[in-house]
Amino acid sequence: MRREEDGVAPINFMWHLVWDFRWDLFKGLLTAITVSIVALILSMVIGMLFALARMSRFKVLSIFAIIYVNIFRGIPALVTVIWVYFGWSLLFGHNFTVFQSGVIALTLLYSSFFCEIFRSALQAIHKGQREAGMALGISRGRIFRSIMLPQATKIAIPNIGSMYIGMIKDTSTFAIIGLVEVVRVTQNLNSTYFQPFVLYTAAAGLYVAIAFLIDFIFRNVELNLAYPPQGRIAKFLSRKKKKKIEELMRSTR
Amino acid sequence: MTNSEILMELSGVRKTFGTIEVLHGIDLQITKGSHAVIFGPSGSGKSTVLRCMNLLEEPDVGSIKFMGNEYGPGSGHKGEAPRGKPIELRRKVGMVFQQFNLFPHLSAINNLALPYRAVRGGTLSEAQERAAHELNKVGLLKFAANYPSQLSGGQQQRVAIARALSLDPELMLFDEPTSALDPELVGEVLGVMRDLAESGMTMVVVTHEMNFAREIGDLNIFMEAGNIVATGGSDFFENCTNQRAQEFIGSVL
Repeated sequence: MRREEDGVAPINFMWHLVWDFRWDLFKGLLTAITVSIVALILSMVIGMLFALARMSRFKVLSIFAIIYVNIFRGIPALVTVIWVYFGWSLLFGHNFTVFQSGVIALTLLYSSFFCEIFRSALQAIHKGQREAGMALGISRGRIFRSIMLPQATKIAIPNIGSMYIGMIKDTSTFAIIGLVEVVRVTQNLNSTYFQPFVLYTAAAGLYVAIAFLIDFIFRNVELNLAYPPQGRIAKFLSRKKKKKIEELMRSTR
Repeated sequence: MTNSEILMELSGVRKTFGTIEVLHGIDLQITKGSHAVIFGPSGSGKSTVLRCMNLLEEPDVGSIKFMGNEYGPGSGHKGEAPRGKPIELRRKVGMVFQQFNLFPHLSAINNLALPYRAVRGGTLSEAQERAAHELNKVGLLKFAANYPSQLSGGQQQRVAIARALSLDPELMLFDEPTSALDPELVGEVLGVMRDLAESGMTMVVVTHEMNFAREIGDLNIFMEAGNIVATGGSDFFENCTNQRAQEFIGSVL
């Protein structure tokens, strides 16, 4: 209501826009989640490979991993996605779709973080675990798969959760290449209605809601991976195995 | 021992960590069915000798002969017998660690079943059946479904012994198996080891439990500063003539 005579528009929060365009925002969120989940899976696999390279006896591999990690931990997401989307096309004449570019950029960035997460998790396992496996005559590959990997995964879970929240947030920078995620939807709406405060606050609310959800999921995963498993899901899944062991306990003399 | 078939023979074993040589040429013969006890002050190289016996530490110089095969670096001369792979030796030599080194992410029964499957193949059911049988022998069948964190130290060590035994070893190595246990839990572990000794298993035990050593040891080895200083049969504790060994026995007993 103030100073209308100077031509300044009255403050008018159009919160109803958030409800009116809820499906657009929701679709944007879905895109952000899809891109980040695909990238999460890829960067965990690649990150594990880099972690192994980093700890390798072969100097060349470990130096390569160190260089990779430090480059991609240092580059902002915005720059990476511009490289992938525009740079790749300029240099090699091949165009990635915006979706592909987003996934590739996130994977490049976050595999470097996952490399460090998995390395520290593997190194946190007591060396007696590997020695016990070796003393029993288990092969190196099997020791890694059945003894090291399960324990490292459990140690890494809280960090993976934090990383994933970061990945979702970084999808917001992909608005610049036209990926229709939350921020891009918000930008589009804003250019029509000019309600930046309302629209961007709504966008922030979505990110926070997702952060709570991810935290909830990962806390549950952690619980279910505890030794012995604490969560309902693990208890449900292991009830058959437990029955079998109980049967064996009765039948063995 | 009436049966004098030599199961394992160490000749000229030297081991260096960094610039410090911790074993200065160890010669040792373990006959089948014998119970060797290695004792001596800390830092004397007892555990390192034991760890060389299953090649968890690869000697820098010297040879380890086990069941007719040569292991270790050898002399490097032409015409020397080919060296066996460590994994083949380890599959016939069981080891029990001071810190138990059970796999914390697996129940007691699967602590046995996983290595059994990894080494022998077969189905999980077969492996678990064998595991239940071995757990029963150490009196822990009713804890088959428990995780290591739900067992006492003594119980954990008994599971670790059962785990090694489930692979039918020809030789069992014990690396201070009771040193990490509360005093009242030592007895149950020694009990299992006593039964094992009586069953005719060949054993090499590094221990500070001198009464136990006196009871089962038919080859007693006193080590100091990387050398075997004195050896003797079951009358070693009464009739030992080496002054350092006498002093040590006197101070521990």
